[in-house]
Amino acid sequence: MTGAGQVWVLVAHEIRRRWRSLLIWGVALGALGALYVALYPTMSRYIEDYMENAPGGMEQYFEEFGGSMTVEQWLGSEFRVGIAPIALSFLLIIMGARAIAGNEERKTLDLLLSNPLRRSQVVAGSLGAMALSLAGILVIICILTYIAALIAGVDLGPGGLAAALVALWPLCLVFGALALLMSAWVRRAAIAIAVPGVIMVVMYVVESLAEAIEAVRPYRLISLFHHLGRPMEGDFPWTAVLLMLAGTCVLGAAALAAFARRDVYT
Amino acid sequence: MSSAILTEALTKRYGRRPGIENLDLEVLPGEIFGFIGPNGAGKSTTIRLLLDLLHPSSGRAMLLGLDAHRDSVAVRRAVGYLPGEFGLDPRMTGRQLLQHFGRLRGMDDLGAAPDLAGRLDLDLDLPMGRLSRGNRQKIGLVQAMFHRPPLLILDEPTTGLDPLVQDTFLQALREARDEGRTVFLSSHILSEVERVCDRVAIVRSAHLAALETTGSLLEKRRKRMVMVFAAPIDAAVFTRLPGVGDVGFQAGPGERQITVTLRIDDGVDGVIKTAAQYTLLDLRVEHPSLDEVFLGYYEEEQP
Repeated sequence: MTGAGQVWVLVAHEIRRRWRSLLIWGVALGALGALYVALYPTMSRYIEDYMENAPGGMEQYFEEFGGSMTVEQWLGSEFRVGIAPIALSFLLIIMGARAIAGNEERKTLDLLLSNPLRRSQVVAGSLGAMALSLAGILVIICILTYIAALIAGVDLGPGGLAAALVALWPLCLVFGALALLMSAWVRRAAIAIAVPGVIMVVMYVVESLAEAIEAVRPYRLISLFHHLGRPMEGDFPWTAVLLMLAGTCVLGAAALAAFARRDVYT
Repeated sequence: MSSAILTEALTKRYGRRPGIENLDLEVLPGEIFGFIGPNGAGKSTTIRLLLDLLHPSSGRAMLLGLDAHRDSVAVRRAVGYLPGEFGLDPRMTGRQLLQHFGRLRGMDDLGAAPDLAGRLDLDLDLPMGRLSRGNRQKIGLVQAMFHRPPLLILDEPTTGLDPLVQDTFLQALREARDEGRTVFLSSHILSEVERVCDRVAIVRSAHLAALETTGSLLEKRRKRMVMVFAAPIDAAVFTRLPGVGDVGFQAGPGERQITVTLRIDDGVDGVIKTAAQYTLLDLRVEHPSLDEVFLGYYEEEQP
């Protein structure tokens, strides 16, 4: 069997092993997206009423919405600084941390490495499983959210929805790959979760605060969440997506080098 | 034909603590080789070096003519490995695990797994989280052997197995040897080593203490002799003999009889000639178990 074939066996095995959990993640976050879409008509009317009756000084604040909030703005905000990006990033951090250090702690890594595999294949298989698992979850979210839009009669373009979810893919992969690097390097799953987890939360908080606090805005450049842009509104962040994919590859290569050099313990 | 396993000054240190030091070892093709020693002696470290799970501090290891590190993928293709400690995914069945490992090895079926599982009385269709300690060990044994590797490396293979299953497993190892395959097993349960191994290496405190055929190891070490005399004799006649130690005297079992026990490190000739000067009622030579042999090495090397 070729090296690529073995990597595919590892990826398929991991997805087969986790498919129920991945389905639950997809359905849960898809239901959340559907809820946002279903709530949009009510929220839209509420916001319009509020804006009409708002004091004069508030008009400047609402200018950003161009007079009213579109469904793309409403849903785009959820996919940028809502629950989905942080939940999916955390899922990939867990997967990355468990891939090597977690399996080492559970003493399952020895048996896997008793097979004719290069360690680089184990790293590649883990990264591949993360990438495909996330893609599957995003597809479920996309389908459920779009179905909800059709049922609620909301004019939501499938292209914009897909673009927002596609932009999430490399963002979450960066955090997953960082967890994989830590997992390959430090042997402790808790550390492999904590380091990227803290970085992710700091980035998330900075971006969330920057929406409301002027003084924080200069710092939002350090947040990957900020660079997601507004893909639902036709502004797909090509540069950020490509850079995040490149970052994922760099982190994956570093994980490979770290794992190849170190001893494996039980 | 190249050695099944060859190590040259193989050394692994964990910081300043030695894992194994300057190990020179050769395992011949088609033999069952026992690697014995107390816990922490360096058995598992050596095995993990052979499997390239650990990287040596110095020295090298060759398996089936392949470098353990440089050719590690080819080595693991030809080796069946049972780790000393291993975890199993509790949600997977044994069959699913073996199917996964089979795919990684490019196998279309489960190889010898159904036969091995049958012999070991193992249900491959139960989730592994529901298996007992012994049955989990059987899964480990089956995954090491199901692809019929030319070299088996087994770290404490009979741990957790009941005696009947141990017998079956040891028989499977003999069959593997008869097919020309090589078995390298570590153990601190010496009776199993005594039963199946052709040669034995004793490792202690990260150093190789002895390397012998199992037979010669048993033969040359510390026979015990028990003699029952019809009447009391002078104790000094035995204690003066060279190569004799641990001489003990005990009254009985009859009224005037006396039982003498002693340890013989060399030949029995002097003891027999001395004993023949008295009326001897009974004489037994007790061969030591490998446990006693091993303990002998261990005691000898204590500082």
